[in-house]
Amino acid sequence: MSKEIAHWLDNLLEEIEGIKVRRKSSRRVRVDVPADALPALLELLQGRAGYIHLSAISCVDWIEEEEFELVYHVWSYESHSLVSAHIRIARDPGVYLSVYDLYQPAAFFERDIHEMYGIHFEGSPNMEKFILTEWNGPPPMRKEFDSEAYINEHLSWQNYNPEWLQELIAEGGGIIIPPEEQRFSQKKK
Amino acid sequence: MRPENYEAQRQPPSNEFELNFGPNHPGIEGNYALKLKLHGDQVVEAKADGGYLHRGFEKLMEQRLWIQNIALVPRICVPDPSPMELCYSMAVEQLCGLEVPERAQWIRVMQLELSRIAAHLFTFGGHAATTGMYSTMYWGVADRDLLLDLFEEFTGGRVYSIYNIPGGVRRELPDGFLQRVSETLDYLESRLPDYDNLFFKNQVFVRRAKGVGVMSQEQALAWGVTGPNLRATGLAFDVRRDDPYLVYDQLEFEIPTEESGDAWARTLVRRLELVQSIRILRQVVEALPDIRGPIRAPIPNPLAWNVPAGEVYTRVESSKGETCYFVVSNGGPKPYRVHVRGPSSMHAVQVLEKMSVGSRIEDIAQTMFSLDACPPEVDR
Repeated sequence: MSKEIAHWLDNLLEEIEGIKVRRKSSRRVRVDVPADALPALLELLQGRAGYIHLSAISCVDWIEEEEFELVYHVWSYESHSLVSAHIRIARDPGVYLSVYDLYQPAAFFERDIHEMYGIHFEGSPNMEKFILTEWNGPPPMRKEFDSEAYINEHLSWQNYNPEWLQELIAEGGGIIIPPEEQRFSQKKK
Repeated sequence: MRPENYEAQRQPPSNEFELNFGPNHPGIEGNYALKLKLHGDQVVEAKADGGYLHRGFEKLMEQRLWIQNIALVPRICVPDPSPMELCYSMAVEQLCGLEVPERAQWIRVMQLELSRIAAHLFTFGGHAATTGMYSTMYWGVADRDLLLDLFEEFTGGRVYSIYNIPGGVRRELPDGFLQRVSETLDYLESRLPDYDNLFFKNQVFVRRAKGVGVMSQEQALAWGVTGPNLRATGLAFDVRRDDPYLVYDQLEFEIPTEESGDAWARTLVRRLELVQSIRILRQVVEALPDIRGPIRAPIPNPLAWNVPAGEVYTRVESSKGETCYFVVSNGGPKPYRVHVRGPSSMHAVQVLEKMSVGSRIEDIAQTMFSLDACPPEVDR
């Protein structure tokens, strides 16, 4: 099995420029490719090496390098190995190509990444909101989005102090957390 | 979508009408909705509508320490939480190069298989209820409760056990616990013929499920279907055997398959898997007393734990299919990125949308429950 993997990897190395292959374990391979070569790589993996199952597309926001990393995990039911193809795209404007014509499951992952990171995938069948239907803020999974700051800015904190609790406290019971020890203490707007 | 934000759209005159199926509907698993376009009682178009269970786990995990996240991950899939714990723990172990003691690996297998049986019983119950057979639902939930009792005993939690931690498991098994597992398995085995007579051979169910929600193996592969749903189309693929983790390569079990790819086949595959899970558990119960040693590898101070930089992709076979975690560390005390890939992100969205079209409205519940879609996994 490993011979087969080595065989097609050699072939790929010849055919795609700028590709870096790293064997992480017997069934995991990491491949780094330039962004424009990824569709060709996936086409080769799917067509010639049997990697027909797109397990997931993951997105990582490398804010300091001003880049998004997209990782395509494809699995082969024949050679029982998983190839993770890593690409980097510029954070601005954050546009990439859809691989929906190769892998239909890509539609969900691309839609999800679009929603959470704001990356636009050209040619993806559906870029509508799915989970955050009523969300008007920035894409929340981006690193610059601070959820705690957003809450303090947009929502008001309630002082939870019902009558039954006051009675309990008057009797010497209940749980009292002083404001300075509360994690989400009321911050000034 | 909140009702106050719903606006009726003016449409040209037609015989079609729209129906919001869910999010609070007995034919839907969990809080999830389908927006259906119907012609009579036939579905013309289906659009999945999620987000009702979105809790932002992936964002939360980036803001918490590596060890704190073990309390978050099981909540991603309510009926079958153990694979989520394992996936996350395995990812951290691989990033740190931690070697998990053998005893912990066997205990983990036991936890996973108990969780699988519990999840299947729960699904059967829900599935039977959609055909009006409430007795099966009561039985399924009651028998699942016996497994939850076991979970409570050895992990401390009934539903969310929070038992796997990076490096191993949290605590040693109580005295005489394996005996009680064995007795519960005896009881479950004795119940299987009852389940067959009440549900699986019941014509009310068979006639409702046969020929409903059919997909071919080609379609299943193209749509990214995994787990029992894929095996119901005839492909014997199981992550436990083909991408083995823990000690599954030392265990004997078969991978049941069916050919027809309909709701009936998918349910039957799960029924057959119960037998295999019981078989695995029996092997674990037999082997565990002889496997002695620590139950977890020593880990650094968890409150000041910087996991080495790197990325890892872990896969586990849950009761619903392939569950994967992509975990990235930048060498800091918190994960840089955790991506959760639940099997239902395929089954509950694209697959359900495609399979609903052309079916009748009463078959949607059959399709969804036979796919065993788990909305909290989709929303995360």
